[in-house]
Amino acid sequence: MFEKRILAVDDDPDLQKMLDSIFRRAGYLHIRTASSGPEALRMLKEEPSDFIILDVRMPGMDGFAVLREIRRTSRIPVLMLTARGEAEDRIAGLESGADDYLAKPFLPRELLLRVQAILNRAYPEPDRRVELAASEVDLERAEAIKGGQRISLTARELLLFRKLYENAGRIVTTGILCETICGEFWQGYETTLSTHIRHLREKIEKDPSRPVSLLTVRGLGYRLVLKEEK
Amino acid sequence: MNSVRRFFRRYIFSTMGILMLFLAVNFVLFAGIMIAGYENSREESFSIRAFSERVTRREGVWTADDTALDMLRENRAWAMILDSKGAVVWERDMPPELPRSYTSAQVASFSRWYLEGYPVRVWAGEDGFLTVAGFQPGTRVKFYYDLPFPYVRFMVMGGIGIFCANLGILLFLTLKNARRVERAMSPILQGIQDLGRGKPRRLEEKGELAEISAGLNRAGDYMMKKDNTRAEWIRGVSHDIRTPLSMVLGYAGELEEDGDLPPAARQQAGIIRRQGEKMRALVENLNLTTRLDYGLLSVGREEMDCVEIGRQAVSELLNEGLPDRYEILFFEECPGKAVWMTGDPALLRRMLDNLIRNSVVHNPEGCRILVSVGSETGTCAFLVRDGGIGISDDRMAALNGERDISSTREGAGETEHGLGLKIVRQIAAIHGGTVRFERALPRGLSVRIAFPAR
Repeated sequence: MFEKRILAVDDDPDLQKMLDSIFRRAGYLHIRTASSGPEALRMLKEEPSDFIILDVRMPGMDGFAVLREIRRTSRIPVLMLTARGEAEDRIAGLESGADDYLAKPFLPRELLLRVQAILNRAYPEPDRRVELAASEVDLERAEAIKGGQRISLTARELLLFRKLYENAGRIVTTGILCETICGEFWQGYETTLSTHIRHLREKIEKDPSRPVSLLTVRGLGYRLVLKEEK
Repeated sequence: MNSVRRFFRRYIFSTMGILMLFLAVNFVLFAGIMIAGYENSREESFSIRAFSERVTRREGVWTADDTALDMLRENRAWAMILDSKGAVVWERDMPPELPRSYTSAQVASFSRWYLEGYPVRVWAGEDGFLTVAGFQPGTRVKFYYDLPFPYVRFMVMGGIGIFCANLGILLFLTLKNARRVERAMSPILQGIQDLGRGKPRRLEEKGELAEISAGLNRAGDYMMKKDNTRAEWIRGVSHDIRTPLSMVLGYAGELEEDGDLPPAARQQAGIIRRQGEKMRALVENLNLTTRLDYGLLSVGREEMDCVEIGRQAVSELLNEGLPDRYEILFFEECPGKAVWMTGDPALLRRMLDNLIRNSVVHNPEGCRILVSVGSETGTCAFLVRDGGIGISDDRMAALNGERDISSTREGAGETEHGLGLKIVRQIAAIHGGTVRFERALPRGLSVRIAFPAR
């Protein structure tokens, strides 16, 4: 069950009902809906929310205007939901301060994953530990716990692990990982990345030469396989 | 050189060629006339020398032979012979009104001009006698020129000079005129070409051809209006379909995962979800291809590493999950070496995604798909090769032709709506690239997209 309070704003009552249904079925207990920008702002004044799903095209006050109004007083995470999938609109949404942007039509699973990823980033649990096959990683303390032993992660190893963890189960390409640890001009740092990966494996894997959690996907990049999350 | 300029260059060269031909033909004709005239006059000419030789004096008596008399008769001429004192010593058919004795001055005069209106020819024999043949007035024309040599030289050189000047002026005016026509026509012809490519441009409505320019501008405006209406319509429809489709996908997804439902109902919900996803892909493709068609998409121009673009495209597809019967491999042709080009990373990822999906869709039995990135001199190339069923030669020719093909699937009378390959071509084109379809060995299809490297 998820305790986070979600406000879904869309002028289409059928879509409101569907969003309500998707989130309730996924285990979210506090889900509210609003059919216009002013109504959403009023509801936020009455009772704050932890997350907002905001439709862009609404009569009267559009989603961008609502977001600007919200951003005057709050950093609450917002996912823009829109029927306009063009890159320009996506950029406009993100520039207005949205945390993510999802174009309609979307799959419920796609929506839930995005919401969960934003919530994880926005509200990190203080004692959050990532459980792997042979170890646990404490993201707050930047430590790996293997065989009861606490091993510190370097800043770059932590950056690397966070990136892989945010995309757990998915392939993260060499370029994206290099960019994460070296910045925009990452070309030529592939060897450095390999070194950090090797060090990370030594800290989280039982047998670093036969990794089961931090896997190499040949030619593409790496994938983090979780055991389960605490 | 574009076709319009090429056309006018050809026009100028052909005009010059026509001029040269004109001069050559005139020269030949003139020479022909001269030769024919000469030949004609030779046939009809009266040779005073020949006549003179046929009038002889024997023992103080002058006698003309039959040939000489025939010559006089044929030319309706008369003749006389003067001795050294100017007295007529022999005559034949001589008009009676003419004197029978001439002074030196008279002889000098008529030998150049006329004798009492009669054109005459003279021949001085070695024996001091002067043979004179006269013709009927109006049958011959006589000219006498006495020109100083410098004047004649000036005339000849001047004539050549005038001819050359005329030729030069003619060429200059022809070129100038052609250039003027080219300047007036080029924008119009270019405008027609642009209109044909679906990219009309505004022409300046001035000069003699302002009406044609205005007509082309109207045609361009009409085409743009029509295109924009169509693009807006597609965008509008795709926008309006997104929200209902969200609900189809959303509820179908929920029902598919609802453990309380019977398996058959969940399967049906799964079918609805999958068909909904197809509709979503179609809407997105339709929207993208329309925006690419009408230049409504702002295309990014970033420096990027094609190897990383390839990795991301393949990873995204693998992350979405592919059935086990498909194996996707990615490799760099030059490992460890970045392959740089300028372009829009999202569009290039989409291009590779479409090609890989094309292989997946058309090989339902499964296959191995190989994606590689490499560079040659001045180009960087993506290669997507599958070991699937491949395509027929006809289809291959059609794919490598100019025709719009949306998918590698054989038509079989069905209309194609995938738009996948059309988008691939569009994306390649806006990046200045080329797409080439080839048969993979031992089987399957190979698609190579080459771009100019950075």
